[in-house]
Amino acid sequence: MAIAILVLLLVVGGFGLYLIGVFNTLVKLRNRYKNGFAQIEVQLKRRYDLIPNLVETAKAYIKHERETLEAVIAARNSAVQGLSAAAADPGNAAAMQKLSGAEGNLVGALGRLNVVMEAYPDLKANQNMMQVSEELTSTENRVAFARQAFNDQVMEYNTYKQSFPPVVLAGAFGHGTDATLLEFADSAAMQSAPKVAF
Amino acid sequence: MDFFTAQDQARRNTGRLVLFFSLAVLFLVVMTNLLVMMFFGYYHSLHGSAAGPATFDWQLFCIIGLGVVAVVASGSLYKIAALSSGGDAVALMLGGEPIFADGGDPDQRKVINVVEEMAIAAGIPVPQVYLLKESGINAFAAGFSSSDAVIGVTSGAVRHLNREQLQGVIAHEFSHILNGDMRLNIRLIGILHGILLLGLIGYRILSGTSRTSGARKGFGPLLLMGLGLVIIGYAGTFFGKLIKAAVSRQREFLADAAAVQFTRNPDGIGGALLRIGASPDGSLLKNPHCAEISHAFFGQGVEVFFESLFATHPPLAARIKRILPGWDGIFPSGPNVSSVKDYPDPVSEEAAGGAGLGLTGAAMVARVGQTSEADLGYARILLNGIPEVLVKAARDPFAARALICFLLLDSDTEVRGRQLQYLKSSADRGVHAETLKLLREGGALRPEQRLPLVDLALPTLRRLTEPQYRLFLNNLDTLIEADGRISLFEWCLRRIVLHHLHKVFGRPAGRGPANGDLAQVAGACVVLLSLLAHAGNSQTGGAMAAFAAARQELGLEIELAPADRVGLPELDRALVDLERLAPQLKARLLTACGACVTADGVIAPIEAELLRAVSASLDCPMPPLAI
Repeated sequence: MAIAILVLLLVVGGFGLYLIGVFNTLVKLRNRYKNGFAQIEVQLKRRYDLIPNLVETAKAYIKHERETLEAVIAARNSAVQGLSAAAADPGNAAAMQKLSGAEGNLVGALGRLNVVMEAYPDLKANQNMMQVSEELTSTENRVAFARQAFNDQVMEYNTYKQSFPPVVLAGAFGHGTDATLLEFADSAAMQSAPKVAF
Repeated sequence: MDFFTAQDQARRNTGRLVLFFSLAVLFLVVMTNLLVMMFFGYYHSLHGSAAGPATFDWQLFCIIGLGVVAVVASGSLYKIAALSSGGDAVALMLGGEPIFADGGDPDQRKVINVVEEMAIAAGIPVPQVYLLKESGINAFAAGFSSSDAVIGVTSGAVRHLNREQLQGVIAHEFSHILNGDMRLNIRLIGILHGILLLGLIGYRILSGTSRTSGARKGFGPLLLMGLGLVIIGYAGTFFGKLIKAAVSRQREFLADAAAVQFTRNPDGIGGALLRIGASPDGSLLKNPHCAEISHAFFGQGVEVFFESLFATHPPLAARIKRILPGWDGIFPSGPNVSSVKDYPDPVSEEAAGGAGLGLTGAAMVARVGQTSEADLGYARILLNGIPEVLVKAARDPFAARALICFLLLDSDTEVRGRQLQYLKSSADRGVHAETLKLLREGGALRPEQRLPLVDLALPTLRRLTEPQYRLFLNNLDTLIEADGRISLFEWCLRRIVLHHLHKVFGRPAGRGPANGDLAQVAGACVVLLSLLAHAGNSQTGGAMAAFAAARQELGLEIELAPADRVGLPELDRALVDLERLAPQLKARLLTACGACVTADGVIAPIEAELLRAVSASLDCPMPPLAI
């Protein structure tokens, strides 16, 4: 009788330790991707801060294309909002999609601005413009890097969460939904923009 | 105590640890049995069964014994597994936040500068620095080896200590890293967790039963069991503290001595200890997890009643007296005045001393796992001389990859063009542009600055995700093969990067038993020494002389192999065997390498780099040679 109780206690104990291990790993992986998002936030903020400078410099030269410039500023502002919503809950499907959409709009608006700037060689040669453009490209590369890291970490979390046996426990531990990756529309259009080709 | 003796000592301490641990488990088994017998006695007397003389039931004893062993083992294994990912896991367990050089706080930047300087002076990758939000003045080092080492400092330390005191504390922590203490520390935490587990379970039962209306008959025995387990738990804690004290106390005096030796400045670490004495919080830490690793901190982190038996650190006054014999026993309260400015003047080349000139092989080996004031001065010169843009790149994961690619760019323009083209087409987005930028703004980099830059970049590269790391390695390999051959410097760079990062990204292989027989690895020694001899001597005559000098130190009957038969792939394989040598044999091998390199009286940059790469692969960190 005593033997049975002891064996039962041991089995329960061992199982308990395993449960603790799974819980802690889930928490660790989730914290990791949330921290990973913070890196994206830093770079995106840098990017959004550069855009008003870009628009101001362009304004002096481009007198007649007001809508294009305003569209850029509007897209930038809604992207800033999307970013703070996403930062509050990284990995949340709705927030990630909203940010992704806002970024897409911004890329489109900037693309149109570039097309317009083609017609102003003076603007292209402007020192300030060249500097801002180069910083923008560099920041975008860093955004891509941070986004790649974030997505790697989200994948790690999702894969662990979906594997057996954590898949059985994850829901009970408060890790019910998978985290969502952050996909940006391919900004190849930005890459081919004449900024770097000055 | 020199590095190799210290490594031997650390291994021996592990043996003692296992012994004490077994004794503790035995004691716990006996006590649990007593408890169970009392429990059954109570139960029987309660139900009025005929209580004959209690016969000793061997079967029950064994079962209970097995039960206790299983609980302790599972607790220990669980904790060791949780900490297996290295120093970062320990730092996060204590609630530490990583801090970086480009953060805004000048005090934090000062800490990172001190850590970077010391790491370069010691020849190890810069450890990641973590901040603990505690008002006490304390610091710790954790990790399995120098590849995944972390250093933690409390915000109290950052705020209250000036630069020279910080340097003293960091030097003390570095001596733990260099002596191989940290692996022992992690095992210690794991083992203690197992012993404490019984007590923790008892505590839970106790708090569970006391919450319900306790007087019910059925809970009586359960309450007793809970209480009993807690008592056993205290026994476990008793043993745990005894173990910690036995293993760690003497080391603290040694680490203090090493700190003075490294910095040649007793006022640094002495001043820090004085500050701790003068400060109201001292070195005490509030976070309960800190108790698990109290043995790894700089100062006593938890209050103890019986200071002599259970303290993990020697008494503060005793430590200060050893370092500052003229101390008058009073803790100076008042603003922190130091004899060294917060940002010391750049040291002139002459003042730093020609560490490396005129050294014999034995003297070179004596510097392994140590550092000195001259090395620190030299490290400061090196750091100040590196172009700012490259230092910034080393501290940022995005640009650090480009930095390594930049270091691998060939001087031949045609090959370089091919390498850059490869980067543009296959490297991660942005690496090509960043490499071009470094090329433009990096200026001329002196050869001796290259490997210290790698030391700076290594902790940053640890932050890559695994897929990013694999891509990075691919890029490295392709860049190296771009000109169809592997140069010695390329091999050195790749070797150091891989050796350190593989420990973090790969599954760290457990250290098997050390190989105590040099004759077994004679072939590997031939490869290593022949390559070194040929690298530093263009003619066979010189190579033979160098090899002869090495053979004399090594004491093996070996012959110089021809240059075309010892290539870098052979060296890679040889190092795998040599890594497992016992510490004293590694010392002999490195002395032989040193003799080989100094035989012609001139140490070429490539020889210094080869020596660095080889000693890093053997986990014997060597300070940079000033050539």
